[in-house]
Amino acid sequence: MPTRPARTSSRPKTPRPPEQSRSQDDPRIMLDREVTSDLYEPVPPYPTQTEREAEFYTRGDGEMFLNVGPHHPATHGVLRLVLKLSGEQVVDVDPVLGYLHRGVEKICENSDYYHVIDHVDPLEYVSSLFQEWAAVLAFEQLMDVEVPPRAEYIRVLSGELLRIASHTLFMGFLALDLGGLTPILYSFIERDEIVEMLAALTGARMLFNYFRIGGVNGDLNHEFMSRLGDWMSRAAKQTEANTGLLNQNEIFVRRARGVGVMNREMALRFGVTGGNVRASGIPFDVRRAHPYSVYPQLDFNVPTRTEGDALARYLIRMDEVRESIRIIDQCLDNMPDGPVMAKLPRLLRPHPGRAWGAVEGPRGMLGVYAISDGSDQPFRFRIHDPSFMNLEVVPHLLPGNLLADTMAIVSSLDPIMGGIDK
Amino acid sequence: MDRSLKRRLEASLSSQLIAPIRQRHDQTEIRIGPGDVTDVLSTLHDSVDLRFEILADLAGVDTGEHMQVVYHLWSETSPDWLRVIVDGLSRDDPRCPSATFLWTGAEWLEREAYDMFGIIFEGNRDLRRIFMPPDYTSFPLRKDFYLPDDAARSPGEGVRHVERPYAPAVVADDPSAGIRRAPAS
Repeated sequence: MPTRPARTSSRPKTPRPPEQSRSQDDPRIMLDREVTSDLYEPVPPYPTQTEREAEFYTRGDGEMFLNVGPHHPATHGVLRLVLKLSGEQVVDVDPVLGYLHRGVEKICENSDYYHVIDHVDPLEYVSSLFQEWAAVLAFEQLMDVEVPPRAEYIRVLSGELLRIASHTLFMGFLALDLGGLTPILYSFIERDEIVEMLAALTGARMLFNYFRIGGVNGDLNHEFMSRLGDWMSRAAKQTEANTGLLNQNEIFVRRARGVGVMNREMALRFGVTGGNVRASGIPFDVRRAHPYSVYPQLDFNVPTRTEGDALARYLIRMDEVRESIRIIDQCLDNMPDGPVMAKLPRLLRPHPGRAWGAVEGPRGMLGVYAISDGSDQPFRFRIHDPSFMNLEVVPHLLPGNLLADTMAIVSSLDPIMGGIDK
Repeated sequence: MDRSLKRRLEASLSSQLIAPIRQRHDQTEIRIGPGDVTDVLSTLHDSVDLRFEILADLAGVDTGEHMQVVYHLWSETSPDWLRVIVDGLSRDDPRCPSATFLWTGAEWLEREAYDMFGIIFEGNRDLRRIFMPPDYTSFPLRKDFYLPDDAARSPGEGVRHVERPYAPAVVADDPSAGIRRAPAS
């Protein structure tokens, strides 16, 4: 039996620097002996800067601070909520943001108009088409581009599909935060079918990069249409079945009803949009309040409710799913023929000017304010995210509620941290 | 374009406008000075024939010469978006009255504009940084803040900080790099 040769490495080993000198030179590494107990003492660990911050961090009798997050399964991303508790009751909240801040606005101001679309994609990552839509809407106004009608219909069709996917996921996560495990499994089945469908259309499952200035990237194809047809044949029935899981669940309904009530005046003063504002009795839907694309030609309702609690915010979104299915039906019936892209030059240099484009996303109004200085990059690119405004209400909804209801309230507002932190 | 909105605005705000009203696509744009912000926003919000009740957006803008604060408002009385540009804030000490007396929700938007541009909103009770850490001193969206590694046309072109792990402190402290310090408050 031949002896096996000893295993040798072909490359000579490079000597590694001794550990001691490496960590001492590296300013990013804190040595054990430098970590002292007083590092953790003050709350917050710097002098308070504002009146409100000082007030929050002054602890009253019997009160304690509790950090929820930044890594917490129920905060939908990396959100840190500093809760001031008195027993089980929430006294005050200070949300701490910025853990996902990437400076997307600055990056967009340093890239050309075509590239902006893929930089804004990961903001609202469960419904990224809408952020693209707001950006192209603003740019099309800057450049006076006319979008072909077929492209507009494809935009509405794919957008409404994604709205359903996003709302279905919302339903699952809301139930998960309230302790129900089953609905999330059903919502992922539903979302997966829609996302696979959109993957056939756009080529990607999550960050689509599909809308273009002046149209969309690619026409409808056979695989998308056949998947869509399959799904539409049972979509309405499936939606009823999924919502039935929660609507008739007594534990869920009793935990969500009357929790986190936002009244009409409060919703207006806080600039809340989307399903959250419609659950408080204000019929503000950008698709109807300030129509864009082909929405004026489509027949759909804007559901509203007056309770303004977590349950109403959930029910509103389920009503919107039904309206979206109606819109998709109409899009398929009325889909015109023709090109899906306007003719545009390779390098876009719009005339100096300002434009504001706003669309109704699943969470509310997504806006983009773009300023052109005549060059091929936007001079200013401002992104307005609905989750940012919706989250701002949290410090005013939570006080007085129990700690266990914190997640029900935050989750019913449906924040997405990718958009909030930009 | 909503012609009647233009007439209504001219009737109620004529003395405070520092430039003619401009209309393009579905947007109407007015320009005011920082001294009139409180009056103009109150008029737009409370006046019976205007009723701009929804604050769609509040943005800071650095034009390179001065700062601006831009409000986008929505009203059921008009099919247009209304853009209110507060023009002519000094770059060295930009100050603007807060809009929180009308829209409490402007508090975080103003915190963001402060964080990114250093615009100080007088009357906002919680004006601290919101995205950047509290000990951060620059204002990243100002035009003299260059991206060190990725800006095609900036003096930072070609400097890839990711390849120089010990250098960021030097870059940040070097005044020639053009990074602005926070004004001592």
